[in-house]
Amino acid sequence: MSAIRIFTACKYGKQAFRPTIRFSSTAVSETKDQHSALKAEHGGYIYVNNQEPSMDFKDVTDRAAQTMFITEIFRGLGVTLGTIFKEPATINYPFEKGPLSPRFRGEHALRRYPSGEERCIACKLCEAICPAQAITIEAEERSDGSRRTTRYDIDMTKCIYCGFCQEACPVDAIVEGPNFEFSTETHEELLYNKEKLLGNGDKWESEIASNIHADHLYR
Amino acid sequence: MRIRDLAIYFGFDKLQRLYQDVKIHGGLLMAIQKFRRFDDLKSGRLIGQDKYGNKYYENLYYFFGRSRWVEYPEYKNCEMDGSQVAPEWSGWLSYRTDAPPYADPIKIYTKYKWMLDHSENLSGTKHAYMPYSTTKPKIEAWVPKKDD
Repeated sequence: MSAIRIFTACKYGKQAFRPTIRFSSTAVSETKDQHSALKAEHGGYIYVNNQEPSMDFKDVTDRAAQTMFITEIFRGLGVTLGTIFKEPATINYPFEKGPLSPRFRGEHALRRYPSGEERCIACKLCEAICPAQAITIEAEERSDGSRRTTRYDIDMTKCIYCGFCQEACPVDAIVEGPNFEFSTETHEELLYNKEKLLGNGDKWESEIASNIHADHLYR
Repeated sequence: MRIRDLAIYFGFDKLQRLYQDVKIHGGLLMAIQKFRRFDDLKSGRLIGQDKYGNKYYENLYYFFGRSRWVEYPEYKNCEMDGSQVAPEWSGWLSYRTDAPPYADPIKIYTKYKWMLDHSENLSGTKHAYMPYSTTKPKIEAWVPKKDD
């Protein structure tokens, strides 16, 4: 029974804040009186669902004023006006770019030695460690007797850019360069082969070397 | 409180700044043209220019992330893309280093004859990269003998 009393106190208690209904005595006895009155009104039961809102002119205007609350509109406009003159918190890409670390792992590249000889010796450590199995390598003996790759494919759509390949590489051949602007319109353009990866290295070598130098004390 | 502090409190210094930016860009028409292309009107110190005509500016009045920017050359009109930035400048533009390429010893030293010229992202054009095999296939298709 006490549970019901708590429920009814919740239901009618908020009326204490409305000026139209006044309570004279304590809430408990009041609700008890209300109970018996309501029971008598409905013929032995209490209607516990939401009542239809009152359509008196005063109540309607009160509700409308609560909804609109005209001062809040002007306060909101004030906030808008203040924000117009504030410096934006966003950056204006592509003219401004967000800060990146020298360790940033972006588009892959295969590097060369300063002589122009490609570094990769087809040890396949990157292929073995790649958790997404995005790398495919085939190797053959080159005409001068050195071991080189004939196929070095990376499926950039499989790659998760974890950087394990560059960690695994014993000759610093495969690196994740700083380029992140290589999005394409088709899937197949992201299936990189050896030519493309070496080309990336040839274009970005100065930047890759600079990043490796910036981080050389920590590796 | 001085008049200047009062002006800053009510934000009138922003209007003064706008007036100065317009003046630096060479009049209202030029400023509007700049705004149309770059979606912003900023003036700063010219740090350098790469061989593709991109100009790199810095103004520390703006906060970190907005304090360095690139202005793409006129001939690109509105065909501007983030990948048109030269690789050696991308580090400076992304705040990886404070040294522009002409002041970075590693970048000055790293110039080999096998290095290629930068190209922007060519996806969607006829010059876009298409994958191809770089080795002969391991399995060759069987061509059945024709019965005579």
